[in-house]
Amino acid sequence: MSQRDRVSAAAWLVVRNAHTAEDIFQNVALKAMTKGVQFESVGALMSWAFITARREGIDWLRRQKNAPICLDNTILELLEQEWADEAAAGDIRGQALRDCLEDLPAKSRDLLKRRYFDGHACEAVAEQLGVRLDAIYKRLSRLHQALKKCIEIKLEQPAS
Amino acid sequence: MNGQLGPDEEAKVADLLRGNAEARTFLRAVAEQAVVVADVERLDQHKPQTAKVVTPAFRPWKWAVAAAAAFVLLSAFVIATTPPRHTAKVSAILGPCQYIAADGKVRDEVKVGTLLRVGDTIRTRSSSAWVKLDLNSGSLMTIAGRSRLRLLNVDGRRGFQLAYGNLWATVAKQAIVKPVSIQTPTATVETMAAQFDLEVHPSTSIVRVNDGFVNVERLADGQTADIAADHQAVISISRNQPFTAARQPEPVNEWNCSMLAGRGAVFAKILPQTADGRSRLGAVPLITAEKATIFVANFSVQSSSSPPVLIENGSRVRIRGTTRTEGPVYFGITTQRIKGVFFGKYTAKVEARALGQAGEPWQVEVPLSQFNPKSKQLPGSPAGMELTDIWIVSPEENAELEIHSVKFLPREVGQ
Repeated sequence: MSQRDRVSAAAWLVVRNAHTAEDIFQNVALKAMTKGVQFESVGALMSWAFITARREGIDWLRRQKNAPICLDNTILELLEQEWADEAAAGDIRGQALRDCLEDLPAKSRDLLKRRYFDGHACEAVAEQLGVRLDAIYKRLSRLHQALKKCIEIKLEQPAS
Repeated sequence: MNGQLGPDEEAKVADLLRGNAEARTFLRAVAEQAVVVADVERLDQHKPQTAKVVTPAFRPWKWAVAAAAAFVLLSAFVIATTPPRHTAKVSAILGPCQYIAADGKVRDEVKVGTLLRVGDTIRTRSSSAWVKLDLNSGSLMTIAGRSRLRLLNVDGRRGFQLAYGNLWATVAKQAIVKPVSIQTPTATVETMAAQFDLEVHPSTSIVRVNDGFVNVERLADGQTADIAADHQAVISISRNQPFTAARQPEPVNEWNCSMLAGRGAVFAKILPQTADGRSRLGAVPLITAEKATIFVANFSVQSSSSPPVLIENGSRVRIRGTTRTEGPVYFGITTQRIKGVFFGKYTAKVEARALGQAGEPWQVEVPLSQFNPKSKQLPGSPAGMELTDIWIVSPEENAELEIHSVKFLPREVGQ
Protein backbone atom coordinates (compact mmCIF):
# COMPACT_ATOMS: atom_id res chain seq x y z
CA MET A 1 0.00 0.00 0.00
CA SER A 2 1.16 3.55 -0.58
CA GLN A 3 1.22 5.92 2.39
CA ARG A 4 -1.66 7.71 0.74
CA ASP A 5 -3.76 4.54 0.59
CA ARG A 6 -3.01 3.80 4.23
CA VAL A 7 -3.95 7.24 5.52
CA SER A 8 -7.09 7.26 3.32
CA ALA A 9 -8.02 3.77 4.55
CA ALA A 10 -7.52 4.86 8.16
CA ALA A 11 -9.80 7.84 7.50
CA TRP A 12 -12.34 5.53 5.80
CA LEU A 13 -12.52 3.44 8.97
CA VAL A 14 -13.75 6.56 10.76
CA VAL A 15 -16.07 8.08 8.13
CA ARG A 16 -16.98 4.98 5.98
CA ASN A 17 -17.10 7.13 2.87
CA ALA A 18 -14.32 6.79 0.30
CA HIS A 19 -14.67 10.31 -1.13
CA THR A 20 -14.60 11.92 2.29
CA ALA A 21 -11.61 9.75 3.19
CA GLU A 22 -9.83 11.04 0.08
CA ASP A 23 -10.70 14.64 1.03
CA ILE A 24 -9.31 14.03 4.50
CA PHE A 25 -6.09 12.63 3.04
CA GLN A 26 -5.76 15.77 0.86
CA ASN A 27 -6.26 18.00 3.91
CA VAL A 28 -3.70 16.04 5.90
CA ALA A 29 -1.18 16.29 3.05
CA LEU A 30 -1.79 20.03 2.81
CA LYS A 31 -1.31 20.46 6.54
CA ALA A 32 1.90 18.43 6.45
CA MET A 33 3.28 20.75 3.80
CA THR A 34 2.15 23.99 5.42
CA LYS A 35 2.63 23.04 9.06
CA GLY A 36 6.17 24.39 9.21
CA VAL A 37 7.32 21.50 11.39
CA GLN A 38 9.90 18.97 10.30
CA PHE A 39 9.42 15.34 11.16
CA GLU A 40 12.39 13.36 12.42
CA SER A 41 11.48 10.28 10.41
CA VAL A 42 8.89 8.84 8.06
CA GLY A 43 7.51 6.99 11.09
CA ALA A 44 6.92 10.25 12.95
CA LEU A 45 5.25 11.78 9.88
CA MET A 46 2.97 8.76 9.46
CA SER A 47 2.09 8.78 13.13
CA TRP A 48 1.13 12.45 12.88
CA ALA A 49 -0.78 11.84 9.63
CA PHE A 50 -2.90 9.05 11.16
CA ILE A 51 -3.73 11.17 14.21
CA THR A 52 -4.62 14.19 12.09
CA ALA A 53 -6.74 12.07 9.73
CA ARG A 54 -8.60 10.58 12.68
CA ARG A 55 -9.33 14.04 14.13
CA GLU A 56 -10.56 15.30 10.76
CA GLY A 57 -12.73 12.19 10.47
CA ILE A 58 -14.24 12.76 13.91
CA ASP A 59 -14.93 16.39 12.98
CA TRP A 60 -16.69 15.25 9.81
CA LEU A 61 -18.76 12.70 11.71
CA ARG A 62 -19.92 15.38 14.10
CA ARG A 63 -21.27 17.40 11.21
CA GLN A 64 -23.33 14.48 9.87
CA LYS A 65 -26.87 13.75 10.93
CA ASN A 66 -26.78 10.00 10.35
CA ALA A 67 -23.14 9.32 11.05
CA PRO A 68 -21.89 5.73 11.25
CA ILE A 69 -20.80 4.38 14.62
CA CYS A 70 -17.17 5.32 15.14
CA LEU A 71 -14.81 2.58 16.25
CA ASP A 72 -13.28 3.02 19.67
CA ASN A 73 -10.10 5.11 19.64
CA THR A 74 -8.09 2.29 21.20
CA ILE A 75 -8.98 0.05 18.24
CA LEU A 76 -8.24 2.76 15.67
CA GLU A 77 -4.89 3.30 17.35
CA LEU A 78 -4.07 -0.43 17.04
CA LEU A 79 -5.05 -0.50 13.37
CA GLU A 80 -3.03 2.64 12.63
CA GLN A 81 0.00 1.23 14.38
CA GLU A 82 -0.20 -1.93 12.26
CA TRP A 83 -0.40 0.21 9.14
CA ALA A 84 2.60 2.24 10.32
CA ASP A 85 4.58 -0.96 10.96
CA GLU A 86 3.72 -2.21 7.47
CA ALA A 87 4.86 1.10 6.00
CA ALA A 88 8.18 0.75 7.82
CA ALA A 89 8.57 -2.75 6.33
CA GLY A 90 8.19 -1.32 2.81
CA ASP A 91 4.94 -3.08 1.99
CA ILE A 92 3.91 -2.90 -1.69
CA ARG A 93 0.36 -4.24 -1.66
CA GLY A 94 -1.17 -1.15 -3.25
CA GLN A 95 -0.27 -2.01 -6.81
CA ALA A 96 -1.15 -5.65 -6.22
CA LEU A 97 -4.63 -4.62 -5.08
CA ARG A 98 -5.08 -2.44 -8.14
CA ASP A 99 -4.01 -5.33 -10.39
CA CYS A 100 -6.43 -7.66 -8.62
CA LEU A 101 -9.28 -5.20 -9.13
CA GLU A 102 -8.49 -5.12 -12.85
CA ASP A 103 -8.83 -8.90 -12.97
CA LEU A 104 -12.26 -8.96 -11.33
CA PRO A 105 -15.34 -9.90 -13.36
CA ALA A 106 -17.42 -6.88 -14.37
CA LYS A 107 -20.30 -7.93 -12.11
CA SER A 108 -18.08 -8.07 -9.04
CA ARG A 109 -16.46 -4.76 -9.82
CA ASP A 110 -19.88 -3.21 -10.33
CA LEU A 111 -20.90 -4.36 -6.85
CA LEU A 112 -17.77 -2.84 -5.30
CA LYS A 113 -18.35 0.37 -7.26
CA ARG A 114 -21.93 0.70 -6.02
CA ARG A 115 -20.91 0.04 -2.44
CA TYR A 116 -17.69 2.06 -2.14
CA PHE A 117 -17.54 4.55 -5.01
CA ASP A 118 -21.23 5.45 -5.17
CA GLY A 119 -21.32 5.06 -1.39
CA HIS A 120 -24.64 3.20 -1.28
CA ALA A 121 -25.55 1.23 1.85
CA CYS A 122 -25.88 -2.53 1.42
CA GLU A 123 -29.66 -2.23 1.68
CA ALA A 124 -29.72 0.21 -1.25
CA VAL A 125 -27.40 -1.99 -3.32
CA ALA A 126 -29.64 -4.99 -2.66
CA GLU A 127 -32.65 -3.00 -3.83
CA GLN A 128 -30.88 -1.76 -6.95
CA LEU A 129 -29.79 -5.26 -7.93
CA GLY A 130 -33.06 -6.89 -6.90
CA VAL A 131 -31.44 -9.39 -4.56
CA ARG A 132 -31.72 -10.11 -0.86
CA LEU A 133 -29.68 -8.13 1.62
CA ASP A 134 -27.87 -11.15 3.05
CA ALA A 135 -26.84 -12.13 -0.49
CA ILE A 136 -25.12 -8.74 -0.85
CA TYR A 137 -23.35 -9.16 2.49
CA LYS A 138 -22.16 -12.64 1.43
CA ARG A 139 -21.01 -11.44 -2.01
CA LEU A 140 -19.10 -8.51 -0.53
CA SER A 141 -17.51 -10.68 2.13
CA ARG A 142 -16.43 -13.23 -0.52
CA LEU A 143 -15.07 -10.41 -2.69
CA HIS A 144 -13.02 -8.95 0.15
CA GLN A 145 -11.58 -12.36 0.95
CA ALA A 146 -10.87 -13.05 -2.74
CA LEU A 147 -9.06 -9.73 -3.15
CA LYS A 148 -7.04 -10.36 0.01
CA LYS A 149 -6.06 -13.81 -1.31
CA CYS A 150 -5.30 -12.42 -4.78
CA ILE A 151 -2.93 -9.83 -3.26
CA GLU A 152 -1.14 -12.51 -1.25
CA ILE A 153 -0.68 -14.64 -4.40
CA LYS A 154 0.60 -11.68 -6.42
CA LEU A 155 3.06 -10.76 -3.69
CA GLU A 156 4.37 -14.33 -3.51
CA GLN A 157 5.12 -14.32 -7.24
CA PRO A 158 8.68 -13.26 -8.08
CA ALA A 159 8.87 -9.79 -9.65
CA SER A 160 9.14 -10.08 -13.43
CA MET B 1 -20.45 -1.14 12.27
CA ASN B 2 -23.22 0.49 10.28
CA GLY B 3 -25.30 0.99 13.39
CA GLN B 4 -27.33 -2.21 13.19
CA LEU B 5 -25.57 -3.99 16.04
CA GLY B 6 -26.91 -3.93 19.56
CA PRO B 7 -24.67 -2.75 22.44
CA ASP B 8 -23.70 -6.33 23.37
CA GLU B 9 -22.79 -7.22 19.80
CA GLU B 10 -20.89 -3.96 19.43
CA ALA B 11 -18.88 -4.80 22.56
CA LYS B 12 -18.15 -8.29 21.17
CA VAL B 13 -16.89 -6.83 17.88
CA ALA B 14 -14.74 -4.34 19.80
CA ASP B 15 -13.26 -7.13 21.95
CA LEU B 16 -12.61 -9.21 18.83
CA LEU B 17 -10.81 -6.34 17.14
CA ARG B 18 -8.75 -5.58 20.23
CA GLY B 19 -7.66 -9.15 20.78
CA ASN B 20 -7.50 -10.72 17.34
CA ALA B 21 -4.81 -9.53 14.94
CA GLU B 22 -6.37 -11.51 12.07
CA ALA B 23 -9.69 -9.70 12.50
CA ARG B 24 -7.86 -6.38 12.39
CA THR B 25 -5.95 -7.45 9.28
CA PHE B 26 -9.25 -8.26 7.58
CA LEU B 27 -10.80 -4.95 8.61
CA ARG B 28 -7.76 -3.08 7.32
CA ALA B 29 -8.01 -5.02 4.06
CA VAL B 30 -11.67 -3.96 3.70
CA ALA B 31 -10.75 -0.32 4.35
CA GLU B 32 -7.90 -0.45 1.86
CA GLN B 33 -10.13 -2.08 -0.76
CA ALA B 34 -12.84 0.53 -0.22
CA VAL B 35 -10.53 3.48 -0.85
CA VAL B 36 -8.66 1.83 -3.71
CA VAL B 37 -11.93 0.81 -5.44
CA ALA B 38 -13.08 4.42 -5.24
CA ASP B 39 -9.70 5.64 -6.47
CA VAL B 40 -9.68 3.27 -9.43
CA GLU B 41 -13.28 4.18 -10.34
CA ARG B 42 -12.47 7.87 -10.03
CA LEU B 43 -9.59 7.49 -12.45
CA ASP B 44 -11.70 5.38 -14.82
CA GLN B 45 -14.56 7.78 -14.89
CA HIS B 46 -12.17 10.73 -15.03
CA LYS B 47 -14.86 13.13 -14.00
CA PRO B 48 -15.57 15.06 -10.84
CA GLN B 49 -18.28 13.84 -8.53
CA THR B 50 -21.61 15.39 -9.11
CA ALA B 51 -23.61 16.53 -6.17
CA LYS B 52 -26.78 14.58 -5.72
CA VAL B 53 -29.91 16.72 -5.76
CA VAL B 54 -32.77 15.20 -3.85
CA THR B 55 -36.13 16.49 -4.97
CA PRO B 56 -38.59 16.49 -2.15
CA ALA B 57 -41.65 14.43 -2.95
CA PHE B 58 -45.08 15.02 -1.45
CA ARG B 59 -45.87 12.16 0.93
CA PRO B 60 -49.18 12.62 2.73
CA TRP B 61 -48.35 10.08 5.43
CA LYS B 62 -45.18 11.98 6.29
CA TRP B 63 -47.22 15.15 6.75
CA ALA B 64 -49.61 13.23 8.97
CA VAL B 65 -46.75 11.90 11.08
CA ALA B 66 -45.19 15.35 11.25
CA ALA B 67 -48.50 16.89 12.30
CA ALA B 68 -48.95 14.25 15.00
CA ALA B 69 -45.41 14.79 16.25
CA ALA B 70 -45.95 18.55 16.29
CA PHE B 71 -49.14 18.05 18.31
CA VAL B 72 -47.31 15.86 20.83
CA LEU B 73 -44.50 18.38 21.08
CA LEU B 74 -46.92 21.23 21.51
CA SER B 75 -48.78 19.33 24.22
CA ALA B 76 -45.52 18.57 25.99
CA PHE B 77 -44.57 22.22 25.78
CA VAL B 78 -47.87 23.36 27.23
CA ILE B 79 -47.71 20.82 30.06
CA ALA B 80 -44.11 21.59 30.90
CA THR B 81 -44.43 25.34 31.10
CA THR B 82 -41.70 25.53 33.70
CA PRO B 83 -38.23 24.20 32.99
CA PRO B 84 -36.87 21.39 35.20
CA ARG B 85 -35.23 22.41 38.47
CA HIS B 86 -31.55 23.10 38.42
CA THR B 87 -30.00 19.98 39.94
CA ALA B 88 -27.11 17.64 39.22
CA LYS B 89 -27.05 13.97 40.10
CA VAL B 90 -23.82 12.08 40.75
CA SER B 91 -23.83 9.28 38.16
CA ALA B 92 -20.29 7.93 38.63
CA ILE B 93 -17.52 8.56 41.08
CA LEU B 94 -13.95 7.49 41.77
CA GLY B 95 -11.52 8.49 44.49
CA PRO B 96 -11.81 10.87 47.44
CA CYS B 97 -14.61 13.43 47.12
CA GLN B 98 -16.43 15.76 49.44
CA TYR B 99 -19.99 17.07 49.36
CA ILE B 100 -20.80 20.36 51.07
CA ALA B 101 -24.52 21.08 51.25
CA ALA B 102 -25.90 24.60 50.89
CA ASP B 103 -26.61 24.65 54.64
CA GLY B 104 -22.96 23.90 55.40
CA LYS B 105 -23.27 20.20 56.19
CA VAL B 106 -20.20 18.30 55.02
CA ARG B 107 -20.12 14.70 53.84
CA ASP B 108 -16.79 13.06 53.09
CA GLU B 109 -18.36 10.06 51.43
CA VAL B 110 -20.29 10.77 48.29
CA LYS B 111 -22.31 8.04 46.63
CA VAL B 112 -23.71 7.52 43.15
CA GLY B 113 -27.23 8.95 43.14
CA THR B 114 -26.44 11.94 45.40
CA LEU B 115 -28.50 14.89 44.18
CA LEU B 116 -26.89 18.32 44.22
CA ARG B 117 -29.18 21.34 44.44
CA VAL B 118 -28.52 25.07 44.17
CA GLY B 119 -25.93 26.06 46.76
CA ASP B 120 -24.43 22.58 47.08
CA THR B 121 -20.74 22.02 46.37
CA ILE B 122 -18.80 18.97 45.26
CA ARG B 123 -15.03 18.64 45.52
CA THR B 124 -12.74 16.03 44.07
CA ARG B 125 -9.82 15.88 46.44
CA SER B 126 -6.90 14.15 44.75
CA SER B 127 -5.26 13.93 41.37
CA SER B 128 -6.76 10.51 40.79
CA ALA B 129 -10.37 11.40 41.67
CA TRP B 130 -13.29 12.25 39.38
CA VAL B 131 -17.05 12.68 39.51
CA LYS B 132 -19.56 12.52 36.68
CA LEU B 133 -22.75 14.57 37.01
CA ASP B 134 -26.05 14.21 35.17
CA LEU B 135 -27.78 17.58 34.77
CA ASN B 136 -31.29 16.08 34.38
CA SER B 137 -31.64 17.34 30.81
CA GLY B 138 -29.38 15.03 28.84
CA SER B 139 -26.40 17.19 29.71
CA LEU B 140 -23.34 15.81 31.47
CA MET B 141 -20.40 17.22 33.37
CA THR B 142 -17.27 15.58 34.75
CA ILE B 143 -14.89 17.18 37.19
CA ALA B 144 -11.54 15.55 37.89
CA GLY B 145 -8.30 16.01 39.78
CA ARG B 146 -8.41 18.73 42.42
CA SER B 147 -11.63 20.48 41.46
CA ARG B 148 -14.45 22.33 43.22
CA LEU B 149 -17.86 22.86 41.63
CA ARG B 150 -20.87 24.60 43.13
CA LEU B 151 -24.41 24.97 41.81
CA LEU B 152 -25.40 28.63 41.70
CA ASN B 153 -28.69 30.47 41.53
CA VAL B 154 -28.32 32.58 38.38
CA ASP B 155 -31.36 34.22 36.77
CA GLY B 156 -32.44 32.39 33.61
CA ARG B 157 -29.41 30.12 33.71
CA ARG B 158 -28.28 26.82 35.16
CA GLY B 159 -25.46 28.39 37.13
CA PHE B 160 -22.23 26.77 38.30
CA GLN B 161 -19.04 28.00 39.88
CA LEU B 162 -15.83 26.16 39.10
CA ALA B 163 -13.44 27.59 41.69
CA TYR B 164 -10.50 25.54 40.43
CA GLY B 165 -9.78 22.34 38.56
CA ASN B 166 -10.84 20.60 35.38
CA LEU B 167 -14.33 20.21 33.95
CA TRP B 168 -15.61 18.51 30.82
CA ALA B 169 -19.17 19.38 29.78
CA THR B 170 -21.58 18.11 27.18
CA VAL B 171 -24.53 20.48 27.15
CA ALA B 172 -27.36 19.02 25.11
CA LYS B 173 -29.64 21.34 23.23
CA GLN B 174 -33.13 21.19 24.71
CA ALA B 175 -35.99 23.54 24.01
CA ILE B 176 -37.20 24.07 27.55
CA VAL B 177 -33.99 24.07 29.55
CA LYS B 178 -31.99 27.14 30.38
CA PRO B 179 -28.46 27.77 29.16
CA VAL B 180 -25.54 26.64 31.29
CA SER B 181 -23.44 29.37 32.86
CA ILE B 182 -20.15 28.59 34.59
CA GLN B 183 -18.34 31.19 36.66
CA THR B 184 -14.60 30.90 37.22
CA PRO B 185 -12.26 33.32 39.02
CA THR B 186 -11.54 35.03 35.69
CA ALA B 187 -14.47 34.36 33.36
CA THR B 188 -18.10 33.54 32.82
CA VAL B 189 -18.64 30.77 30.29
CA GLU B 190 -22.13 30.30 28.85
CA THR B 191 -23.63 27.95 26.32
CA MET B 192 -26.94 26.60 25.05
CA ALA B 193 -25.40 23.52 23.47
CA ALA B 194 -21.76 22.56 23.25
CA GLN B 195 -19.12 20.04 24.14
CA PHE B 196 -16.20 21.77 25.79
CA ASP B 197 -13.63 21.50 28.53
CA LEU B 198 -12.48 24.03 31.05
CA GLU B 199 -9.29 24.22 33.11
CA VAL B 200 -9.40 26.77 35.91
CA HIS B 201 -6.64 28.26 38.05
CA PRO B 202 -6.74 31.36 40.29
CA SER B 203 -5.49 33.71 37.58
CA THR B 204 -6.32 31.87 34.36
CA SER B 205 -9.12 29.87 32.77
CA ILE B 206 -8.64 27.89 29.57
CA VAL B 207 -11.72 26.93 27.59
CA ARG B 208 -11.57 24.56 24.65
CA VAL B 209 -14.66 23.99 22.49
CA ASN B 210 -15.03 20.80 20.44
CA ASP B 211 -18.65 21.07 19.34
CA GLY B 212 -21.22 23.86 19.27
CA PHE B 213 -20.12 27.21 20.63
CA VAL B 214 -19.77 28.99 23.96
CA ASN B 215 -19.79 32.63 24.89
CA VAL B 216 -17.06 33.81 27.25
CA GLU B 217 -16.88 37.03 29.23
CA ARG B 218 -13.56 38.11 30.70
CA LEU B 219 -14.29 39.41 34.17
CA ALA B 220 -11.28 41.74 34.20
CA ASP B 221 -12.78 44.09 31.60
CA GLY B 222 -16.15 42.68 30.50
CA GLN B 223 -14.88 41.78 27.03
CA THR B 224 -16.80 38.92 25.42
CA ALA B 225 -15.96 36.42 22.71
CA ASP B 226 -17.79 33.56 21.02
CA ILE B 227 -15.67 30.44 20.94
CA ALA B 228 -16.73 28.14 18.11
CA ALA B 229 -16.02 24.43 17.68
CA ASP B 230 -12.31 23.60 17.27
CA HIS B 231 -11.31 26.84 18.98
CA GLN B 232 -9.98 27.72 22.40
CA ALA B 233 -9.31 30.79 24.52
CA VAL B 234 -7.20 31.68 27.53
CA ILE B 235 -8.94 34.08 29.89
CA SER B 236 -6.46 35.78 32.17
CA ILE B 237 -7.10 37.88 35.22
CA SER B 238 -4.92 40.55 33.60
CA ARG B 239 -6.35 42.93 31.00
CA ASN B 240 -2.91 43.13 29.39
CA GLN B 241 -3.06 39.53 28.25
CA PRO B 242 -4.64 38.89 24.82
CA PHE B 243 -8.19 37.54 24.84
CA THR B 244 -9.17 36.03 21.51
CA ALA B 245 -10.50 32.74 20.24
CA ALA B 246 -7.75 30.82 18.49
CA ARG B 247 -7.98 27.65 16.48
CA GLN B 248 -6.95 24.57 18.48
CA PRO B 249 -3.43 23.58 17.41
CA GLU B 250 -2.71 20.30 15.68
CA PRO B 251 -1.88 17.53 18.14
CA VAL B 252 1.61 16.22 18.83
CA ASN B 253 2.77 12.97 20.37
CA GLU B 254 5.29 14.27 22.88
CA TRP B 255 5.41 16.85 25.63
CA ASN B 256 8.14 18.44 27.65
CA CYS B 257 6.61 20.29 30.57
CA SER B 258 8.35 23.64 30.68
CA MET B 259 8.98 23.81 34.40
CA LEU B 260 11.15 26.89 34.26
CA ALA B 261 8.25 28.85 32.81
CA GLY B 262 6.27 27.47 35.71
CA ARG B 263 2.92 27.47 33.93
CA GLY B 264 2.70 23.74 33.33
CA ALA B 265 3.20 22.96 37.00
CA VAL B 266 -0.29 23.65 38.26
CA PHE B 267 0.11 22.10 41.69
CA ALA B 268 3.63 22.24 43.15
CA LYS B 269 5.83 24.67 45.02
CA ILE B 270 8.80 26.31 43.38
CA LEU B 271 12.07 25.56 45.18
CA PRO B 272 15.39 27.40 44.79
CA GLN B 273 17.41 26.21 41.82
CA THR B 274 20.25 23.75 42.32
CA ALA B 275 23.87 24.93 42.12
CA ASP B 276 24.02 23.86 38.47
CA GLY B 277 20.93 25.95 37.64
CA ARG B 278 18.42 23.11 37.50
CA SER B 279 14.85 24.09 38.34
CA ARG B 280 13.15 22.19 41.17
CA LEU B 281 9.55 21.79 42.21
CA GLY B 282 8.40 20.35 45.48
CA ALA B 283 5.36 18.16 46.00
CA VAL B 284 2.53 19.79 47.93
CA PRO B 285 0.64 18.09 50.77
CA LEU B 286 -2.96 17.20 50.07
CA ILE B 287 -5.44 15.84 52.60
CA THR B 288 -7.58 13.35 50.72
CA ALA B 289 -9.59 12.08 53.67
CA GLU B 290 -9.38 12.04 57.44
CA LYS B 291 -5.81 11.12 58.48
CA ALA B 292 -4.76 10.63 54.87
CA THR B 293 -2.19 13.04 53.49
CA ILE B 294 -0.33 12.57 50.24
CA PHE B 295 2.32 14.71 48.57
CA VAL B 296 1.56 15.63 44.98
CA ALA B 297 3.04 17.53 42.06
CA ASN B 298 0.72 18.01 39.10
CA PHE B 299 1.60 19.11 35.56
CA SER B 300 -0.99 20.18 32.99
CA VAL B 301 -0.62 19.95 29.21
CA GLN B 302 -2.98 22.83 28.46
CA SER B 303 -1.53 25.17 31.06
CA SER B 304 1.93 24.68 29.61
CA SER B 305 0.63 26.11 26.28
CA SER B 306 1.39 22.82 24.54
CA PRO B 307 -0.71 21.58 21.62
CA PRO B 308 -2.89 18.57 22.48
CA VAL B 309 -0.75 15.51 23.19
CA LEU B 310 -1.86 12.17 21.75
CA ILE B 311 -1.15 8.93 23.60
CA GLU B 312 0.17 6.08 21.46
CA ASN B 313 1.00 2.48 22.17
CA GLY B 314 4.62 2.72 23.23
CA SER B 315 4.40 6.26 24.66
CA ARG B 316 6.54 6.75 27.77
CA VAL B 317 6.52 9.00 30.83
CA ARG B 318 9.97 10.11 31.94
CA ILE B 319 10.37 11.91 35.27
CA ARG B 320 13.50 13.18 36.99
CA GLY B 321 13.46 13.96 40.70
CA THR B 322 14.67 13.15 44.16
CA THR B 323 13.26 11.51 47.28
CA ARG B 324 14.90 11.58 50.71
CA THR B 325 13.62 8.20 51.91
CA GLU B 326 13.44 4.77 50.34
CA GLY B 327 9.83 4.28 49.39
CA PRO B 328 7.69 4.01 46.27
CA VAL B 329 6.28 6.90 44.27
CA TYR B 330 3.29 6.82 41.95
CA PHE B 331 3.00 8.32 38.48
CA GLY B 332 -0.45 9.11 37.13
CA ILE B 333 -1.94 10.37 33.89
CA THR B 334 -5.35 11.84 33.13
CA THR B 335 -6.79 11.16 29.69
CA GLN B 336 -9.63 12.46 27.59
CA ARG B 337 -11.05 11.45 24.25
CA ILE B 338 -9.60 13.22 21.23
CA LYS B 339 -11.57 16.46 21.00
CA GLY B 340 -13.98 14.97 23.46
CA VAL B 341 -14.94 14.22 27.00
CA PHE B 342 -13.06 12.93 30.02
CA PHE B 343 -11.88 9.34 29.50
CA GLY B 344 -10.14 8.15 32.67
CA LYS B 345 -7.10 7.99 34.87
CA TYR B 346 -4.18 5.55 34.84
CA THR B 347 -1.44 5.07 37.43
CA ALA B 348 1.86 3.23 37.73
CA LYS B 349 3.71 2.36 40.92
CA VAL B 350 7.46 2.99 40.87
CA GLU B 351 9.15 0.79 43.45
CA ALA B 352 11.85 2.21 45.74
CA ARG B 353 14.55 0.06 44.10
CA ALA B 354 13.94 1.81 40.76
CA LEU B 355 14.71 5.17 42.41
CA GLY B 356 18.20 4.19 43.58
CA GLN B 357 19.78 5.56 46.73
CA ALA B 358 17.69 7.93 48.82
CA GLY B 359 18.67 11.56 48.36
CA GLU B 360 20.31 10.96 44.98
CA PRO B 361 18.60 12.30 41.81
CA TRP B 362 16.74 9.63 39.87
CA GLN B 363 15.34 9.42 36.37
CA VAL B 364 12.56 6.93 35.77
CA GLU B 365 10.95 6.09 32.47
CA VAL B 366 7.64 4.23 32.66
CA PRO B 367 6.17 2.83 29.43
CA LEU B 368 2.46 3.19 28.83
CA SER B 369 2.03 -0.57 29.18
CA GLN B 370 2.90 -0.31 32.89
CA PHE B 371 0.08 2.13 33.65
CA ASN B 372 -3.04 0.54 35.09
CA PRO B 373 -6.58 1.87 34.73
CA LYS B 374 -8.07 3.35 37.90
CA SER B 375 -11.50 1.88 37.20
CA LYS B 376 -12.72 -1.46 35.92
CA GLN B 377 -14.68 0.13 33.08
CA LEU B 378 -11.55 1.45 31.39
CA PRO B 379 -9.62 -0.51 28.77
CA GLY B 380 -6.15 -1.69 29.75
CA SER B 381 -4.44 1.01 27.72
CA PRO B 382 -5.32 4.67 27.07
CA ALA B 383 -3.61 4.57 23.65
CA GLY B 384 -5.57 6.67 21.19
CA MET B 385 -6.62 9.19 23.85
CA GLU B 386 -5.37 12.67 24.64
CA LEU B 387 -3.15 13.46 27.62
CA THR B 388 -4.60 16.02 30.05
CA ASP B 389 -2.07 15.98 32.86
CA ILE B 390 0.66 14.02 34.62
CA TRP B 391 1.00 13.80 38.37
CA ILE B 392 3.52 12.31 40.76
CA VAL B 393 2.59 11.24 44.27
CA SER B 394 4.53 10.20 47.33
CA PRO B 395 2.59 8.94 50.35
CA GLU B 396 5.44 9.93 52.72
CA GLU B 397 6.16 13.42 54.00
CA ASN B 398 9.76 12.53 54.86
CA ALA B 399 10.37 11.64 51.22
CA GLU B 400 10.40 15.39 50.40
CA LEU B 401 9.54 14.56 46.81
CA GLU B 402 11.13 16.98 44.33
CA ILE B 403 10.56 17.01 40.59
CA HIS B 404 13.22 18.25 38.16
CA SER B 405 11.80 17.27 34.79
CA VAL B 406 8.57 15.87 33.32
CA LYS B 407 8.46 14.47 29.80
CA PHE B 408 5.95 12.50 27.77
CA LEU B 409 7.80 10.73 24.99
CA PRO B 410 6.55 9.13 21.76
CA ARG B 411 7.08 5.46 21.00
CA GLU B 412 10.57 4.69 19.90
CA VAL B 413 11.08 4.42 16.15
CA GLY B 414 10.77 0.81 15.08
CA GLN B 415 8.94 -0.16 18.26
